Amino acid sequence: MNNINPNLNTNSFIKIKKFLLSKSKYNFCNFIFFVISISLIFNFLTWIFINSNWKVVTSNLNLYAFGSFPPDQQWRPILWFFSLLSITFITVYGPKWNWIRKNLIFGWIGTVPLGIYLLNGGLGLNPVMTRHWGGLTLTILITSCSILFSLPIGILLALCKRSSIFLIQKLSSFYIDVMRAVPLIAVLFFGQLLIPLFLPVGLEIDRVWRAIIAFTFFVSAYIAEDIRGGLQSIPNNQIEAAKSLGLNKYQINIFILIPQALRVALPAITNQLIGLFQNTSLMSILGLMELLGVSRSILANPEFIGQYIEVYIWLASVYWLFCTIMAFVSKKLEQKLTINKGY
Amino acid sequence: MINRLFFGLAAFGILVTGCASNQNENISRLSLIQKRDELICGVSGKIPGFSFIERDGSYKGLDVDICKAFAAAIIGDSEKIQFRPLTAAERFLAIKTGDIDLLSRNTTLTLSRDSFGGNGLTFAPVVFHDGQGLMVKKNSGIVSIQELANKSICVGSGTTTEQNINDTFESLSLPYIPIKYQDLNQVVAGYLQGRCQAMTSDRSQLAAVRSGFKKAKDHIILDDVLSKEPLAPASDGSEQKLADAMRWTVYALITAEELGITQSNIADKVQLAKNNPQLKSLRRFLGVDGGLGEKIGLRNDFVINVIKATGNYGEIYDRNLGRDSDVPIPRGLNEIYSKGGLHISPPFN
Repeated sequence: MNNINPNLNTNSFIKIKKFLLSKSKYNFCNFIFFVISISLIFNFLTWIFINSNWKVVTSNLNLYAFGSFPPDQQWRPILWFFSLLSITFITVYGPKWNWIRKNLIFGWIGTVPLGIYLLNGGLGLNPVMTRHWGGLTLTILITSCSILFSLPIGILLALCKRSSIFLIQKLSSFYIDVMRAVPLIAVLFFGQLLIPLFLPVGLEIDRVWRAIIAFTFFVSAYIAEDIRGGLQSIPNNQIEAAKSLGLNKYQINIFILIPQALRVALPAITNQLIGLFQNTSLMSILGLMELLGVSRSILANPEFIGQYIEVYIWLASVYWLFCTIMAFVSKKLEQKLTINKGY
Repeated sequence: MINRLFFGLAAFGILVTGCASNQNENISRLSLIQKRDELICGVSGKIPGFSFIERDGSYKGLDVDICKAFAAAIIGDSEKIQFRPLTAAERFLAIKTGDIDLLSRNTTLTLSRDSFGGNGLTFAPVVFHDGQGLMVKKNSGIVSIQELANKSICVGSGTTTEQNINDTFESLSLPYIPIKYQDLNQVVAGYLQGRCQAMTSDRSQLAAVRSGFKKAKDHIILDDVLSKEPLAPASDGSEQKLADAMRWTVYALITAEELGITQSNIADKVQLAKNNPQLKSLRRFLGVDGGLGEKIGLRNDFVINVIKATGNYGEIYDRNLGRDSDVPIPRGLNEIYSKGGLHISPPFN
């Protein structure tokens, strides 16, 4: 295509370039853009620092962070946040000792039971009902539990979809297709409102857990597809080579396919997980007091009526911060994994 | 061999009878609450003056106080409540699935919600008579709906609100220009930017919204009421005992206001009733004699617990929606009948 009429393309390009970059017009455009952006920034800053009233944020920080978690027990979520923060730090900046690298994954997996134990109590801690869980704590808990459960399920589904056994392959494709065809909000509604109807009498699943289950079901289907993409990127001769070395199916999967597939799929999986973190805000319309839910309740406090803009700007920056951290960690991981690959 | 068979059969039998007894154990919701020693109360959590979250994480508002009254009546302690924030979409299903015991979440009592062919609920007496209203700027000089002819009105689209205002203006043969928005916040923004001369919504919401305005005094809510929105607590229609307990708890709040019994003078009134056998109706009401509470599955002195916990209806109203509260709404229809309102209680006999 490019070779058919190179002159036409170049000529029109030069014309446009001339028009846009002629000195006077260029300066004029620059000036207009400059004025508009300065006035926008100025208005925004005057609003932020003068016209807005940040009391709705500052005086409710505890609510945003912990919901209605009992005040004398709030060191527990704080401790959990701290453990998450430190393991993130170790992952990104930690020394390259071998034992750390090998056990980091268990550290990450361990943060989830630790968080549940710290929030739920028992075994020496005062038990706290899940209805008191809320705010950022709940958002992070739902996200991390869903990640922990959906990753192995996703890997399993991806392997099943490539399986040579007809039934297994069809079942897992069916599951993945159905989950991707249903909107997330429908899955969440199903989890929150319909699961209790189907459960036998006496058996009750807590609504926080129902949310985590619904998210896990949904996200694992997407992760399965991401990982399948990673699996497909591995050349077939690797499998053949492994077979000729005498490895069996499981060994091939565990030592050769999955590690490489995960490495390839990492950016796509990060995408899903960031999406998952933001999608937890949907739980606010299902009555969970996570970050957005607790904010909407704060806005109904007569003291703070009408301060929507402040609250939503604050929420946006909190979500931005956490998504940025997630993206950053994934980028660092990617770099480390590429280095280890040895080329 | 025979031994094993026998044990297998026995185990199976135990399992079956266990299941059967589990299903036959038809414990009423009221005794379930008392056994659990905690009331699970569905609220909105997002409506100023009715239910919202305080800085310390506790719930407050008129709907919340009604929950507290129920807990005081049923359990005897107004603090033993679990509040469950619910959205409009899930509130009825939450009752059906037994997720919550009762609903105190400004829900309009309608035929289809009350009937067994509809949502299958049972409603306690109305605790707040709401209605659709109109808000205008004070300096516009508009004081009645007639003067809104040919004026533009901001309204949320696709709601009963939109339907109601259309019906009203049509029945009055008044022309008007509706300006439609997606939700209440946009309606408010449009109204404040001067795109319309008036805005319409439920009167309680208008009052709540207005209390957030910078100059709340510059806006008035017209006296015209365009629709009936009686808000009432609800419970599962098949649980008559719970419904009775709720009904008479609300009536107790209203009767207490009628009799001038308040949170502060309840102890004196009880003493008065105990010392004066001739005050028959007061003695029955406070459970000194008559045994009325037992008939609805509560303690005979449940009224005392309720009033001690929340005060009478007037006190609850003043605390949350009264003149000095953050969301002042004139009592109007919500006065007791002797003062020209709609709240009336059948006799405690």
